[in-house]
This record gives sequence, structure tokens and C-alpha cells, in this order.
Amino acid sequence: MDAGTLREGEGRSFVGGMHIPEYKSLTNDVPIRRMAIPDRVIVPLMQHSGAPCEPLVQVGATVQLGQKIGDSEEFISAPVHATLSGTVVAIERRTHPAGEAVECVVIEGKGEQGEFVPVAKNNPDQMSPEELKDAIKEAGLVGMGGAAFPTYVNINTRQPVDTLILNGAECEPFLTCDHRLMVERADELITGADILMRCIGAKKTFIGIESNKLDAIRILSSKTKAREDMEVVPLAVKYPQGYKSYLIKTITGRDVPRGARSAALGCIVRNVGTTFAVYEAVVHGKPFIERIITVSGPEVPNRGNYIVRLGTPADFILREAGVDPNQLAGNKVIFGGPMTGLAQSDLNVPVVKNTTGVLVLPSELVREQVPYTACVRCGVCVERCPNWLYPHQLSILSEYGMYEEMQQWDIWDCIECGVCAYVCPSQRPIVHFVKRAKTVIDNMS
Amino acid sequence: MKQSALIVTPPPHLKLERTVGGAMRDVMLALLPISAVSVYFYHAFALKLISLCVVTALATEYVFRRARGQRVTLSDGSAALTGLFVALLFSPTTPVLTAMLATFLAVGVAKELMGGLGRNRLNPALFGRVAIIFLAPLLPFLNQIPLYWSVDTVTRATPLAKLAQGWDMPSTWELFVAFPGGALSETSPLALLVGAAFLLYRGHIRWHIPVSMLASIFVLTFILGQNPVQHLVTGGIMLGAFFMATDWVTSPITKQGKLIFGFAIGVLVVIFRLFLPPPEGVAFSILIMNAFVPLLERVTRRASFSEPVSAPTTG
Ligand code: SF4
Ligand code: SF4
Repeated sequence: MDAGTLREGEGRSFVGGMHIPEYKSLTNDVPIRRMAIPDRVIVPLMQHSGAPCEPLVQVGATVQLGQKIGDSEEFISAPVHATLSGTVVAIERRTHPAGEAVECVVIEGKGEQGEFVPVAKNNPDQMSPEELKDAIKEAGLVGMGGAAFPTYVNINTRQPVDTLILNGAECEPFLTCDHRLMVERADELITGADILMRCIGAKKTFIGIESNKLDAIRILSSKTKAREDMEVVPLAVKYPQGYKSYLIKTITGRDVPRGARSAALGCIVRNVGTTFAVYEAVVHGKPFIERIITVSGPEVPNRGNYIVRLGTPADFILREAGVDPNQLAGNKVIFGGPMTGLAQSDLNVPVVKNTTGVLVLPSELVREQVPYTACVRCGVCVERCPNWLYPHQLSILSEYGMYEEMQQWDIWDCIECGVCAYVCPSQRPIVHFVKRAKTVIDNMS
Repeated sequence: MKQSALIVTPPPHLKLERTVGGAMRDVMLALLPISAVSVYFYHAFALKLISLCVVTALATEYVFRRARGQRVTLSDGSAALTGLFVALLFSPTTPVLTAMLATFLAVGVAKELMGGLGRNRLNPALFGRVAIIFLAPLLPFLNQIPLYWSVDTVTRATPLAKLAQGWDMPSTWELFVAFPGGALSETSPLALLVGAAFLLYRGHIRWHIPVSMLASIFVLTFILGQNPVQHLVTGGIMLGAFFMATDWVTSPITKQGKLIFGFAIGVLVVIFRLFLPPPEGVAFSILIMNAFVPLLERVTRRASFSEPVSAPTTG
């Protein structure tokens, strides 16, 4: 498809899903800015899927920005680093944005921050794929858009992987940090993609971008025009286009059966934010100490896309954005996008590796808190479910506690995207039902 | 620091502006043209019948919900809509008690006793209408109170009856646009199509059921040497195809299921019309197929996106 004549909304897609009001114009032309650094950060030792880290420092220790402060012997894990130069004042359980309390290293520090402690000092052009992977592992990189799966594990595959897909779909409403990154850091992103291709031996990179980001599509298309091995793929603006399986299916046509790791399908999907972090880790030796997030909401004065230190508490971010955290009665504060992100009750929660945004939604915008009613079998959830499930069945069976039957209706295939609950005229909290049932089933076995 | 006044509910945090009540109101709006035509032809008869059925429906739901200690949900509009449907299924001279009993059976038995909106298996309005066919001969007192004392202006033979008896027929075009005779809803297929177009446009119904149902009637009557168009514009076929068979609760949720459902109804309608006595063939056909919905959904269940297609990829 020619990027020059592409119109907004056009592009390839998958079967199912739907367009959801975007609210992206609130922040999609606000350039990336660096947010002030807080005096205190809360760094969870568990910011990834896999095994939690063990702390490498003790209370009272002086730490330097970028110093590794937690690591694990387990294969599926990722180290964490000090995101502030200063003193460790506590190592204790604190609320994580995902809800439960986890061990966190609390660091206080003021003033001179100094340079970060680099993870690798080699010239990337002379590094072998193994050395590149080690740098990525040491930098603590994880998927920054979704499940926070350790990047090192993802790319450390012995299977031949011919295709790299960069996920620039950013299909969640409100979020624009990936958009700005693609516009403002295109060269670095391409270098990051080159590094990933060398790591996995891929021959081709596709950059999937929803066509509500025409400027990003144009910039990356023109920068990759001369290259045979890189191609920008405009995608229809349809939620949840950015989910890995649908991206693979949309771009490569390959089916994604349950349980198959994407490497087994010959392709690896990486979020553009992660790819940029790969560039920073390998070229500048920078550990994963900060990320870009979107701070937005219709009534947030200084909304925008900010580089923030990991571990920065929500109330600090809100104040920097001009919001008084004590005046938020009746609002929702969400970490992540409005479809899958979690509403927070404690504004001490820190930004973690996969926090894509901090949103403040006033009550008129969020789901009305009306009681839900019986399923009237309108069928819209069935039409829209991107995983071709029967959400109404799952919700009814869950009400009756029929967990065995829920497994027959493929509950484990549900990606919890929220489309079904978004469309349901009976206001049924289907995703909530599914999550609850998954927990119950897990505890039964 | 706990900000207790923050709203904390599970995702998704956005919600499409779409409610059951809104959909019911849209269906009532879609029935406005046909109601208007019936009032045009039948004057006070139609108005009286409609109000009688709607009020009975609301009262029935209220009493049933109250008696069983449930939340009264008149505001979702489903009771009123059922009442309107029942009225449209009757002819203007229907006696008062007959219409009331049909509405009571529709809302009280077919809907509320089955567990309320969403849990009923049979289309409530059709259930009420058909039940009357069986009950009326057993309960002669139902005829005691006519809707209006002088009724001679409207007692004409319906087009369908004329068709059956080989009488002179009004032209198909007249029948299509507007022609008095029969139930309120049988006066104008055109008015029903206008309403149906609105429902399709608003996304409340899908094309699968009406198209497969009308297509199977058309093809079968044609094969059997009948005038297919004349069949389509007479009797309850249009109301059945667009408003009754498409009822969310009592039709299959799968696309293939919808196609089979509509097709089977069409076949049954033709069998009733050509080979069996009862005149309410459309109502019978839809009710029969209502009973097969769970089966249809089972056999047309689609595979999950994540279902391995052929041989699973071995890792
Ligand atoms: S949350 Fe699950 S069931 Fe609902 S639409 Fe998404 S994948 Fe389907
Ligand atoms: S959207 Fe809601 S009411 Fe409609 S079928 Fe699904 S669960 Fe039932």
C-alpha cells in the first residue's frame, strides 16, 4: 500500500473486533517531554511475567542510577535497576499497579544524579548475536506494551525465525506514546529493529501501524523505502489490532494456535517501545530505567507524552500534569489503556516496565455503574469477539459457577480484551466474570 | 494514602452507549408505520386493541415481578413491546377478553414464568397468539365482550382467506402497499419493510434470518406452482420474517444457525399454507423453530481463533 495516498482508517485487519472512540487527539501531537525526577522511587522486584527478582542491595545502601538492584537465577525473569541515585530506605511489600502487593525497593535521593551505570560498553557493530542478547538481558528489557514478557527469553530461540514484527498498532484509546516514539525516534527505532533482526536471524521486518497515525506511517515508510527487508504495514483502526496473535495473522496470514509460541510460527512480535529500548540498551548501554508514558484525560491540564523514571509514583505524575491527587473524587485513575488497564485505588503505585499510560477519566466517560441484567442474546459480543468465542455463554456459565463448562467454551482462549463487555446492552461485566473464573479454575487444579 | 473516593471498577472502563431499553424503543419506533396504517384502516378498533394489549402487558409484568419479589423492569420496554406485538397479531374485531388473555399468557407465562427477558425459549407474543387458537374454543366466555359493539364495517374476509378460497384478489401491488383485512400487522407489508430497514440500519437485527426465510418461501412456492410474490405479501410473513423470527432471545446467535433457522421457518410456512389447515402458519412455524434454537447453536458452533487448524505446530 502506498503511504502517500493512504487515508485514515484504511489498512489490513483481522476478523472481529471493532472501532472504539480513540480520544488520541488529546495527546497525539504533543511532543515527548522529560518529566521531573521524583525524590523517591518505588521499584518493584517483580515487573515482568516470570520469577520475581531477589534484592541485591540492603536497606541503607547507596545506589547509583542504573545499578542492578534485583535479579533472579530463573530463566524467565528480568533484572531491575536503580532508577534514582540515592539511598535505599526500605525493601518492603507495596501495592503494584496490577493489584497485589509485591516486594519493592524504595530509593530516596536528591540532586545530582550522574550518568547511569552502563550495561555494555562494546561497539554494537562488532558484537555477536550472543553478546547482543546478553546486553538485552542485562538491561532488564521486557515487553513494554502488554504482558511484560522478558525480551531476552522471547528472542533467545533456537528455532529459525524469519520474520520480526514491530507492533506500532497502539490500538488502545487515549494512548499515544508509541505514536510519538515512531514519529520522533524513527532512526533509533530502525536501528533497534536491525539489532533484533541480528539477534534472531530474521530476514524481514514488518512494522504494523494503525492508520490513525499517518505521520508515523509516512516517516517510517520513507526511511525504509530503500530497504528490501523492512516494510511498513498500515493496519485498519480496529481494537484489539495490537494483540500479538491478531497482528501475526493480519500481517503474515499465519494461524496462531493456542499454546504455540510465536517463535514456533517463525515470527517474533516486539512492541515499538521495546525496540527503542533495545536500541538504547545496546548502543548506549542504557539499562531499563525509564520509559515513555501517555498522561491523559479530558480534564488533565498538562497532558502529554512523558519520559518518566520507572518507580515514579502516580501522585507525583498527576501533580506534574497539573492534577491535584486529592481532588479526584468521582474520577478513575487508570494505569494502561481504558480497555484493559486497571483502575487504581492507591495513588502511591509506581510506574512499572509495562505501564503505557496514566489516565484520569471523569465519571461521565467511564462505564455507568448500573446493575447488569440478564443476557438478552443480542449476539453482538459474539459478532465482535476477536477470538471467535461465545462471550455470552461464558458470562452465563460463570454466573451459575459452571466452571467445567466454561472450559469447554474455551475460556482459556479469552484474551480479556474487553470488547464483549464494551458492547453488551445488558451491561454485563463479562471480562470480570472470565477473570474470576480463571482464578477459581486455577485454584481447583 | 488511600483515595477512597476514586472509582475503582474492573476493565473495560469505556462503554458503548447501548442499552436493552434503547433497542426496545427502536423496535417500537420501527412498528410505528404499521401501527399507523392499521389505525388508518381500522380507526378506533386498532387504537383500542393496541392500548388494551400494552396496558395488559405492563400490568402483567408488574404483578408477576412484584409477586415473585423481583426488580420491576418496565422501563426496559420489553413488556410494552410484547403487548404491541400481541395487538398487531390480532384482527381489529378481537374480543376484549381474548386479547387480554393472549397478552397475559405472552408476558406472564411465556416470559416471566420462564425466568424473565433473556431466559424465555419461545417468542412470547407468538406464544400468546397461538395459545388463544387452542383456548378460544374451550373458553366461550372469551367472546362475551367485543371491542366495539357495531362491527360490520371491518369484518371483511382477509386476503389470505380469499387466496385459500380462490376468490378475486386485490392486485399484488395493492396488497404490498396497504390493504385492509386480517390482523393489524397484515395491512401493509410496505410499512413493515420501512420499519425493518430502520432496524437493520440501527444494527438491531441482521439480514440472515429474514433473507433465508423469505428466499425459501419464494423458491418453494415457485416450485410448487404458486405465485411467490403474492405469498410473500399476505398473512404474517413480513412481520414474522423481520420482527418475530429475528427476536434476539429466541433465535440462534450464530450466523449459520440464523440461516438454517430462517430457511426452516420458510419451509414450515409453505407446508402450513399449502397442506395444513391453521391460518396462523407463520406463528406456528416460528414457535416450532424456537424450540430448535439450542440444537442449531450447538451444530453451528464456530471454532475458536486459537483452535489448531490442521496438525498442531510442533515446537
Ligand atoms: S474479552 Fe474474551 S470473550 Fe470478550 S471479546 Fe475479548 S476475547 Fe472475546
Ligand atoms: S452482548 Fe450482552 S446481551 Fe448481547 S449476547 Fe452478549 S452477553 Fe448477551
